[in-house]
Amino acid sequence: MRRVSVAILGVVVVASLALGLAAGTVPLSPGQVWDGLWRGDSSAGVIVRDLRAPRVLLAFAVGGSLAVCGAALQAMIRNPLAEPYLLGLSGGAGLGAVLAIASQATGPWAVPLAAFAGAIAAIALVYRLSLVAGRRLDPRVLLLSGVVVGSFAGALMSAIIVLSPAAGIRNAFLWLLGGFGASSWRSLAVFTAYAALPMATIGLSARHLDLLALGDETAHHLGADVDRTRRTIYICTALLTAASVATCGIIGFVGLVVPHAVRTVARPLHRTLLPLVFIAGGAFLVLSDVVSRTVVRPLELPVGVITALVGVPLFAVLLRRTLA
Amino acid sequence: MVDDAGDTVQVASVARRIVSLIPATTELLFAIGAGDAVVGRTEWCDYPAAAARVPNLGDGINPNTEAVLASRPDLVILYNSAQNAAIAGRLRSMGIASLRLNTDALSDVGRVGRILGRLTGHVLAADSMAAVFDTALAHATAPPTGRRPTVLLLVWEQPPMTIGRGSFLDELVQRAGGANLFADVVSTAGTVSIEAVAARDPDLILTTSAGPASFADRPEWQAVRAVRQRRFLPVTGSEYNRPSPRAPAAIRALARRLRPAP
Repeated sequence: MRRVSVAILGVVVVASLALGLAAGTVPLSPGQVWDGLWRGDSSAGVIVRDLRAPRVLLAFAVGGSLAVCGAALQAMIRNPLAEPYLLGLSGGAGLGAVLAIASQATGPWAVPLAAFAGAIAAIALVYRLSLVAGRRLDPRVLLLSGVVVGSFAGALMSAIIVLSPAAGIRNAFLWLLGGFGASSWRSLAVFTAYAALPMATIGLSARHLDLLALGDETAHHLGADVDRTRRTIYICTALLTAASVATCGIIGFVGLVVPHAVRTVARPLHRTLLPLVFIAGGAFLVLSDVVSRTVVRPLELPVGVITALVGVPLFAVLLRRTLA
Repeated sequence: MVDDAGDTVQVASVARRIVSLIPATTELLFAIGAGDAVVGRTEWCDYPAAAARVPNLGDGINPNTEAVLASRPDLVILYNSAQNAAIAGRLRSMGIASLRLNTDALSDVGRVGRILGRLTGHVLAADSMAAVFDTALAHATAPPTGRRPTVLLLVWEQPPMTIGRGSFLDELVQRAGGANLFADVVSTAGTVSIEAVAARDPDLILTTSAGPASFADRPEWQAVRAVRQRRFLPVTGSEYNRPSPRAPAAIRALARRLRPAP
């Protein structure tokens, strides 16, 4: 049974990555894609190796990370609505990006770096607020702080957009809507190198997450350091989400619904759940990205639009089937 | 008269106090000698230089009714957008003629110029402006012969956005002898993939930003040959973003810069 499910997951990973490589704005035959993978000098090679391959891998890594963040936060906050962007991050990142565009910061990495800085600032503020209010990291206070910090950042962002003379500032929203159009081997390397540590830390906290899901008291009696686990999970998920916003903008839905979708099929311990969620999230985002770059070619749609348009009906079906 | 939105508008014999909330109409009013009648403009009305002396009433996208009323206009010119319907209706109910006009294409220069000439009593000046414009435009337009260099019209860098067929910039580039790389796209602006740009391999990349093309250093853009070879065509003047009597000169300038392309 176990071997069968591992095989199925392997097939899902390979199939989604292969489809991601084969599909795109420019129609290429499977033969051209295969040749392009090994011989990078042809025009198909440039497209497959330098543009599609890093894009597909990055979408997988980001999708997996966001889904794992969602699963960990839902266990930690014991709230099914928990998701990575609820902690004020999207507001902070948006504010950073808009500031960078409004101040006409140039340089190829100005906007992503500013978004990352904004997200980190929002995280720090939310964390500080939660500590002040409850002394220990209270999940409810954490959620509330996230919401208010997000609204505050949103208000500042609107003010800057209205007052700024920069002609293209409205396009800051487009950047935030998310997409993998700017993927490269370098951005993939930066994201994976950065995500490895928080990801591993969440993985190592799997047993504590099982305990936390039972409630603070029980977790405490069973030997979990509730406060410490909560702090660790919060910081790791926040750092991961900030990195993904800086890489590809705000992609909603993956972190919220993929963990729930996986749980409607199986409810294993977090040791098994987290890898499952990672693979499901990764494959889901790769496929959504395929749709986003093929459905109106040669134009692209923001991938966040696709994740919601494809994901919500899918989730509704799953939910009905489980409840029935 | 009937404006471009299809509304019938009662207009007094000659307008003497005009609020012009489109940069293109401000420019046209000055071009036909009605500049003295302009009592309000948008923040973006930067041509001619004399327009700077007219009070700035905001960005023109969401006009402030109070500011418009404060300048006591007898004619208000708005861009023909759905969101301007409300303010146009409100102004009319207060007895102020307000028109919504399209200023999107080269053909609007003569057409709107003549409308403004009728409204301001500068009919002859408007007619001659339109005639001069048509002749200059015909002279500036490249003959449809020879290989046309393909141009990516990159209006925004992150995400990469282009504008397709029917847009003003597309019209300028075509008349200058170039071909829009995404002429098959009809929407005025859309995000394109770098993959599509790389596969279509443009001769030149037209950018609308003033500074150096910052995207040129990003690794994913190196898949595009024109980026590797730094074949950029920056255009920044307002003559490239609005139809105006300056368009023929802009086309000739663009044609000179397109020609050396391989």
